[in-house]
Amino acid sequence: MARVQVSEAEKVYILHGIRDDLRVDGRGCEDYRHMEIETDVVSNTDGSAKVTLGHTAVLVGVKAEIGKPRPTVPTEGYLEFFVDCSANATPEFEGRGGEELGTELSNTLYKVFNNKRSIDLKSLCICAGEHCWVLYVDVLLLQCDGNLYDAISVAIKAALFNTKIPKVHISSDDEGGKEIELSDDPYDCMRLNVENVPCIVTLCKVGHRHVVDATLQEKACSVASLIISVTHKGTITCMRKVGGGSLDPESIFEMTEAGKRVGKALHAPLMKLLEQEESLGKKRQKVYTCFPGLPLVSPQPPREESGAK
Amino acid sequence: MAADMRLPTIRKTVSLSASAFDRKDLVVPGDVITSDTGFMRGHGTYVDDDKLTASVAGEVQRVDKLICVRPLKTRFNGEVGDVVVGRITEVQQKRWKVETNSRLDSVLLLSSVNLPGGELRRRSAEDELTMREYLQEGDLISAEVQSVFMDGALSLHTRSLKYGKLGQGVLVQLSPSLIKRQKTHFHNLPCGASIILGNNGFVWLYPTPGQQEEEAGGFYTSLEPVSLSDREVISRLRNCLLALAAHKVLLYDTSVLYCYESSLQHQVKDILKPEVMEEIVMLTHQKLLEQEG
Amino acid sequence: MAGLELLSDQGYRLDGRKATELRKLQARMGVFTQADGSAYLEQGNTKALAVVYGPHEMRGSRSRTLHDRAVINCQYSMATFSTAERKRRPHGDRKSTEMSLHLKQTFEAAVMTQLYPRSQIDIYVKILQSDGGNYSVCVNAATLAVIDAGIPMRDYVCACTVGFVDETPLADLCYAEESGGVSSLALALLPRGGQIALLQMDARLHQDHLETLIEAAMTACKGVSKVLDEVVRQHLQEASVLTGE
Repeated sequence: MARVQVSEAEKVYILHGIRDDLRVDGRGCEDYRHMEIETDVVSNTDGSAKVTLGHTAVLVGVKAEIGKPRPTVPTEGYLEFFVDCSANATPEFEGRGGEELGTELSNTLYKVFNNKRSIDLKSLCICAGEHCWVLYVDVLLLQCDGNLYDAISVAIKAALFNTKIPKVHISSDDEGGKEIELSDDPYDCMRLNVENVPCIVTLCKVGHRHVVDATLQEKACSVASLIISVTHKGTITCMRKVGGGSLDPESIFEMTEAGKRVGKALHAPLMKLLEQEESLGKKRQKVYTCFPGLPLVSPQPPREESGAK
Repeated sequence: MAADMRLPTIRKTVSLSASAFDRKDLVVPGDVITSDTGFMRGHGTYVDDDKLTASVAGEVQRVDKLICVRPLKTRFNGEVGDVVVGRITEVQQKRWKVETNSRLDSVLLLSSVNLPGGELRRRSAEDELTMREYLQEGDLISAEVQSVFMDGALSLHTRSLKYGKLGQGVLVQLSPSLIKRQKTHFHNLPCGASIILGNNGFVWLYPTPGQQEEEAGGFYTSLEPVSLSDREVISRLRNCLLALAAHKVLLYDTSVLYCYESSLQHQVKDILKPEVMEEIVMLTHQKLLEQEG
Repeated sequence: MAGLELLSDQGYRLDGRKATELRKLQARMGVFTQADGSAYLEQGNTKALAVVYGPHEMRGSRSRTLHDRAVINCQYSMATFSTAERKRRPHGDRKSTEMSLHLKQTFEAAVMTQLYPRSQIDIYVKILQSDGGNYSVCVNAATLAVIDAGIPMRDYVCACTVGFVDETPLADLCYAEESGGVSSLALALLPRGGQIALLQMDARLHQDHLETLIEAAMTACKGVSKVLDEVVRQHLQEASVLTGE
């Protein structure tokens, strides 16, 4: 992550605040920052979503392509992840600077999302052993202000909800081979069931307590964090400890319980919001594809009729 | 405890009265300001073919014969006497490098700081070796600009009791153009906290120190826990500052105070929600207009 | 030759535009708060996001510091989902490196770097959706971002890609036209002085047509500059009103 420097006195201040359940911005230890979610933001993908969590901004695009299934599981499709830590977020990510973080993030995403319990991978199969859908999930980090995992997981869930995979008709051609036809109708598509897709909750241990949705300053005061992926039923599907410090078993247990509670509470409002957005349909006022902020300007370019001939 | 999720909306900026539009003289890069050669050129302009042309997008300011263009947003351009809040990035030989949101890191020379205890003596080699005991990487300081080097880097000094290392508190990083120039930048707000409005856009909020700590000389920092009520005041002020900055309101002690008062009806963590921010800034505007006339 | 006609007999192109018509240009400045300057620009279906950090102290290799001017550091990259066929690497390939160098060259001509000795200005451009004219859209977006950051420039830098088909210059090419074998020329212009910051062509073109093509490119760039000007003025009006007492 982008590093911020914090002085010793600031660390003490933050530590004491968290101990008293009053963080620097007035939140409690288990409160999230203001989150904004929008789907269908990039037009040449099959599904996309943009999530803004405080100042962290993440853009996810899903492209569905036809590929060969894995030999060990011929009746299932699969997901491929790629996280691009762009230099836009912070100059430290210029060139190859963001690769390490990107690889770490995508490895975790593989573990959390690419399994049959999160997504019905069998529905991605076209022809057992020969053809299947491969969903390429590309994550683009636009701004970094802490808590990347949570923002990315919400964005992935929203993007998968938004993904429309074209329906496929298999016909046999003259030589006995199979021909795959994609249906031309843009509304004739398959949607994914994202009910079981988990959301990731990052809990940072600061002092003796833990916080959810840590900012970069709070992260600089914590020694270790726990990353938990939780489904809507409250089941934990994946857990990982990151950071150089050590955690004792009681705190891991406490943090796990808190993570379950917080994670479970994320799903219901998210699904409601996604369904609400979908129901607005054409009437939805797209916030200029990506960016809220100042009102948009769209002057018409001048029609140059008498140009050079 | 639940996360606040919503669909994004196009945010409207708080609009002022229409008369504010007329008196602004706004230019963009490449605009010719004047062809009269009698004027001197200041920041943000250049001379092209005897014509004074703007090089940034902003407002034209004329002071007698000097014309300069002030851009909306820029890095801090320090002048002698400015109060800044900065973070130490490096400890070099006989000086510290300080990050102050300007185009080059500022410099704090060993000879420009007060030694603990207020001694006045020549700095020895031992002082050089123990520089890290005074100020380390990551520490925050408040200082004044002593001079400006040829390449634009600032030289700072803390040779007064009110400057020095900062203790417990919260730093808010904003744009320098939002800070109003005033006689003093250190304020003890009546709501129960103190604020340092650095000219470089860094604002420091801290609990008002008690009487006995005044003579510390800048290097002693108390690590005692700050009381919960003070914390709430500081958090509320921080959120108010962010709300004012998001709506591009000029920051000075009065505007911050009015914003604080207008925000009392909301919970501290709700202040950062877009509609609450709008409401609070509107109320602050109204109060400011009433007060001014 | 069967296939799509790049310019029909009535003078309409593949997307219904006339030969000298530009695509619809929409832009917004100041989209990110953490960077010094940022802008988002759409030209037709090509979308680019530009972010500027600086001027700031030189990071990384101190040896590259110039004692009399600022160093401009550019990076061009494309989002992996920006093209119809998914790109495997966002940057680091030869094309991106070449584009980054071109951007650097373009902005060194316009930004007044001698005001900031020993510092560094970073310009990062990301293509979110690619539909032709990538270089031009990047330059236009980066101009807005540099203006948003308050960095002095001599003039706007406007760019446009033009092509030559059937004795007619086509302004602002889209991807279908670029890949349809049109001789394309990319031009970056400082509109007021009419000075060219960058000129690039990689196709065969008869010498007689060169002047016409450059003229067409310059006219198109001037059209782009009018739109960018409107965007900047509007942004100024909105953002500056509130700063006043």
